Amino acid sequence: MRRSLVIARSIFCWCIATLLLPGCIDAYMPDVLSDPKGHLVVDGFINSRGVTTITLTRTYNIQAAAPPPAETQATVRIIDDTGRLYPLVESSKGIYRSGLLTLNLARSYRLRITTAAGQEYESASVLAKTTPVIDNVRGHTNSDGLTIVVNAHDDSNGTRYYRWDYEETWEIIPAFRPQVEYVKQERRFQPIAVPYPIICWGNQKAPDIHLSKTTTLAQDVVADYVLRSYPTTSDRLRYKYSILVKQYALTKEEYDYWTELRKNTEDIGTLFDPLPSQLTGNVRCLSDASELVFGYVGAHTEEAKRIFISRADLPNEWRTATGYEACFPPVLIGRDYASFFSGFLSYVPIYETPEGYISSSKECVDCRLRGSAVKPSFWP
Amino acid sequence: MRFLYLLLFLLLLVFSFAANAQQSQQTVSGNFNQTPFEQFVRQLEAQTKLRFYFDPKAVDSLMITLQAQNQPVEDVLALALKNKPFRFVFDEENRVFITAGLLLEPTLPDYFFQPETPQSAAANTRADDAETASSTGRSRYVSPAEFKVYELGAAGTTTGKATLAGHIREAKSGEPVIGATIYSEAPSVGTSTDQFGYYSLTLPVGRHDLKIRGIGIKNTKRQVVLRGDGKLEIEVEEDITPLKEVVIEGEKDKNVSGMQMGLEKLDIKTMRQIPTAFGETDLLRVVLTLPGVKSVGEGSTGLNVRGGATDQNLILFNGTTIYNPSHLFGFFSAFNPDILQTVELYKSAIPAKYGGRLSSVLEIKTREGNKKKFAGAGGIGPLTSRLTLEGPIVKDKAAFIISGRTSYSDWILKKLSNSSFRQSSASFYDLSGHVSSEINEKNSLYATGYLSTDRFRLASDTTYQYLNQNASLKWQYNFTNQLYGVFTGAYSHYAYDIVSEKNPVNSSRLQYGIKQSNLQADFSYFPNSRHTIDFGFSSLLYNISPGSLTPNGEKSLIRPDVLGQEKALESAVYASDRIDLTPRLSVSVGLRYSLFNALGPRDVYRYASDVAKTENSILDTVRYASGKVLATYHGPEYRLSARYSLTENTSVKASYNRTRQYIHQLTNTASVSPADTWKLSDANIRPQVGDQVSVGYYRNFKSNTVEASVETYYKSLRDFVDYKSGATLLLNHHIETDIVNALGKAYGVELMVKKLTGKINGWVSYTYSRSLVQVNAGTTAEMVNGGRFYPSNFDKPHDVTLIGNYRFSRRISTSLNFTYSTGRPITLPLAKYYVANSLRVYYSDRNAYRVPDYYRADVAINLEGSHKIKKLAHSSWTLGVYNLTGRRNPYSIYFKSENGLIKGYKLSIFGQPIPTITYNFKF
Repeated sequence: MRRSLVIARSIFCWCIATLLLPGCIDAYMPDVLSDPKGHLVVDGFINSRGVTTITLTRTYNIQAAAPPPAETQATVRIIDDTGRLYPLVESSKGIYRSGLLTLNLARSYRLRITTAAGQEYESASVLAKTTPVIDNVRGHTNSDGLTIVVNAHDDSNGTRYYRWDYEETWEIIPAFRPQVEYVKQERRFQPIAVPYPIICWGNQKAPDIHLSKTTTLAQDVVADYVLRSYPTTSDRLRYKYSILVKQYALTKEEYDYWTELRKNTEDIGTLFDPLPSQLTGNVRCLSDASELVFGYVGAHTEEAKRIFISRADLPNEWRTATGYEACFPPVLIGRDYASFFSGFLSYVPIYETPEGYISSSKECVDCRLRGSAVKPSFWP
Repeated sequence: MRFLYLLLFLLLLVFSFAANAQQSQQTVSGNFNQTPFEQFVRQLEAQTKLRFYFDPKAVDSLMITLQAQNQPVEDVLALALKNKPFRFVFDEENRVFITAGLLLEPTLPDYFFQPETPQSAAANTRADDAETASSTGRSRYVSPAEFKVYELGAAGTTTGKATLAGHIREAKSGEPVIGATIYSEAPSVGTSTDQFGYYSLTLPVGRHDLKIRGIGIKNTKRQVVLRGDGKLEIEVEEDITPLKEVVIEGEKDKNVSGMQMGLEKLDIKTMRQIPTAFGETDLLRVVLTLPGVKSVGEGSTGLNVRGGATDQNLILFNGTTIYNPSHLFGFFSAFNPDILQTVELYKSAIPAKYGGRLSSVLEIKTREGNKKKFAGAGGIGPLTSRLTLEGPIVKDKAAFIISGRTSYSDWILKKLSNSSFRQSSASFYDLSGHVSSEINEKNSLYATGYLSTDRFRLASDTTYQYLNQNASLKWQYNFTNQLYGVFTGAYSHYAYDIVSEKNPVNSSRLQYGIKQSNLQADFSYFPNSRHTIDFGFSSLLYNISPGSLTPNGEKSLIRPDVLGQEKALESAVYASDRIDLTPRLSVSVGLRYSLFNALGPRDVYRYASDVAKTENSILDTVRYASGKVLATYHGPEYRLSARYSLTENTSVKASYNRTRQYIHQLTNTASVSPADTWKLSDANIRPQVGDQVSVGYYRNFKSNTVEASVETYYKSLRDFVDYKSGATLLLNHHIETDIVNALGKAYGVELMVKKLTGKINGWVSYTYSRSLVQVNAGTTAEMVNGGRFYPSNFDKPHDVTLIGNYRFSRRISTSLNFTYSTGRPITLPLAKYYVANSLRVYYSDRNAYRVPDYYRADVAINLEGSHKIKKLAHSSWTLGVYNLTGRRNPYSIYFKSENGLIKGYKLSIFGQPIPTITYNFKF
């Protein structure tokens, strides 16, 4: 309801804006005092059937552009209510993994963290929930474009609270395939020795939080929950696209946490939005009760489903973009201007003509700037 | 001041001795030959009851030679002083004043202070001269009624007191004049008319000059000879200042001499002068310019009065409660300006008659309609148009007024390029009607109806609709001249309905409704001139449908979710007495006792007593049958105030009042939204209680044309609702688990200087105020800001407002409105972190920072058509610019996570100067 009100208000504002005022929303960044102390952030869940991955980072200055500082060399373990320990090992900086676990669903579990500095943290003890299987993930097309929806149900009516995460992968074919290259040291052109990859795979993890609850429905059914929408012109749909959807069953508390987290970061914006709250999560610092810790560690299984959507699956008349529109037309660079191929401008020659070299930028020829050239294991 | 007292004293004496005012007829005898004057008068004193007053030095050379044989003392004196430079005069108290040269008047003439006719009872030879002198009043035309002497009451009671009562009405339209003062100067007795234009004065029998003053009417008077209880209906003329003449004259000044403090009174003329964003006079916007009244932002009409929440204001429209006073999310107030007469806002010293809300009472009164002839008015603006019609049903006895307003904002949406906007619609209308009828001398009936609706359809999938329906019927019955009663039956209904139909499976309808019926009887009793007693009782039945979510359409899988009905009865009895202890000191003592019964049928959860209320702490469910009382709250509400006049134009006032509130608005957004609901107190939610102490100093300057006041207050609020983080307010079956009881305190100083007459008029006010909240109950997790006091959403310490009008001529006037206030508190992000593939934000303590200060200036120019009285229609144009400097005042500042980046935004609603043009007409 509130979401719609948000729209209403913004429409009205927009109306006035169109009539009388150009724009009522300006970018604004107050001179906020950044919290100098980095607080521990715990991201991940206890996977009751599989590998548990926990990422430990720290909070940081709101205006910093860098990635979050990782919390390394901590001791992380899962503890059940009988005191049994399942240790996690730091696999890369700040990322801790367990072995393949099958946890007893009758027990409750918590995560214990001891940082390198000696501070002790623990998440609240939670019962592990079993996630129902995803019924299907489908791409619906209409004149506006593609929407990817998920369907799920639980016959026992025991799930009620759902969260989804997804990871998208799509093929990228660069605008040009160079046949020549410029050897800087020798200041000459030669047929390309190591060709640029002809295809790459773009990848993105869901940046938003997807939640649904069925408590207001007579049956525990999630019908066509919209995860992602694309316009008909999206370049991701040009060749082959894939989405891996992960589904998690949540407890009411964890659902509330995610709802709140979404409200705090995605919904805040208009007159009708709730005031942001000081959301932290279910992890506490044992050695200093007043210390802030962020993150909610739940315990459940993970269900995943992957689908592929090829260009052939989509309506013929859709004019998908290449994503390389800015690369055309390529430029012709005369032989005397070889310095253009090194240094500041760094053009990339594509092929030779009598007048010189047809060239483009690295961005237009190297798809590795947009994805990975390594074919994912799941790609057909 | 001394002169006034002397005057009053003398006049009182005049009346008490009026019956035997025959001093000069006493006779004296004696032979005097070159007798010193002093000795001469001693002999006269010995023979009569007279006392002589004179300057011994002035008469030391005066010798008297005469003979008298039982001659009237006056003749003797005249003879004695014949051809001498001395004059004499008798007064009514057997005193004789001898003066050299000039004649001393034994009574000060009335026009000593008021340019009016002198007291005719004070007989003296100069009366005629004074009469001519007095006709330099405001108007050149003096009503013949002023010269007529009305003989009232059955003769018989020649001594004692009698009560005079009646109405003061406007002669042209027959509408009552509210708040006009009617008074006699000797003895000094006065009163003012109530909402019906009714007054009641208790005076000694005899002859009186009654003076009538009021805003917007011409000063007038009536001469009466009161023999017993009687009725006097007074018609006064509307005050139209003649062309090319500006008369600056002070009204009998309410600010200093009135009992009431913390009262802001606006009439429609004042309201019309203030520029608004959409060119239309907007009641709530004007109220927002008053000291002590704030809102979270300019797009919101939620009032925060002296640090109170938006739900703590009782908004009465002719006696019915309005639950949502705004249109279009708060951009317009839901009252048509053409039908309004006055608006009164009680910020402190709330009369005992009113109850049920903590912070203020906003009483809106409509006009009664023209009782003499058919008339109309209207206006055309960029977004709305309005029309009002009024006229007599029975001439001079009954009248109607009906007023409607509608929006046509849809065309704007249709103009937009975005298809989802084109499919949207937004419209509203309101309709109000009022009928008044004077059945006979003792009975009058008043009926009011009000309807307002809003409807929005957004991107063709969600439709919002809300409406107010109100009706009231008032019967005024005059038992005697000293006692009258008003019996009111009123009904208020507020409801909304939100239909969402994007997805057939989730298509649903959300509804909420509140119905309130009340019956009340209010009596006013005027036993004598020193007491004004009000008493009465009221009973209010609430019936709330707290929310229902139902499937909409065949395919919908929505499980119907209907919250149980809430019912309650709120009753109160009250009595208050206004006592004029001395001319300087008045007190008003009032007590209201309210009783609240939450009624079944209802299922009530019982919670474990010593832990925070959560779903887990529910012990059991108790079912109450229909009509069974499930919770009772009651308590006294004290209403005390006092006024002490330091001098004629300065006074000090103090008041203390307690208020109790049994209904709570559930909203956890910064501003009021149409999806907010009202919840009654019940077994788990306590009523709110507020106490306010305030002290004020009032002073008028320049013969009461400039009013200055300083008011300071301290307020404490208990048990008002605040929410836990992320509370669910809609369709919550156990809302008490998401609510926390908050404590509040507010204090401040309000300074105001006001000039309401003259070419330049307006007011300037400065307010320093704080409004703080504390949530320190339950567990640590439920505390807000660790249980410390924190600024409320509307805590804006400094506030300066200037409303100025300048009249170039009778046809052109301009107004300027300037507002500055401290920025509203906000909660800011302090740090960011990475969870679930996206950056998240950690926010500061609640309301720890502020948005930039608010500043706005508006101008308007009013162009009137010609002022010919006989004209088919009078029209005027209003041109205005809202937010003249185009300052982008932030309404809200917020942060959003977009593609993994946290961006801050500032939303300004009116970020540019907004020109408006409105055409108004009147016929």
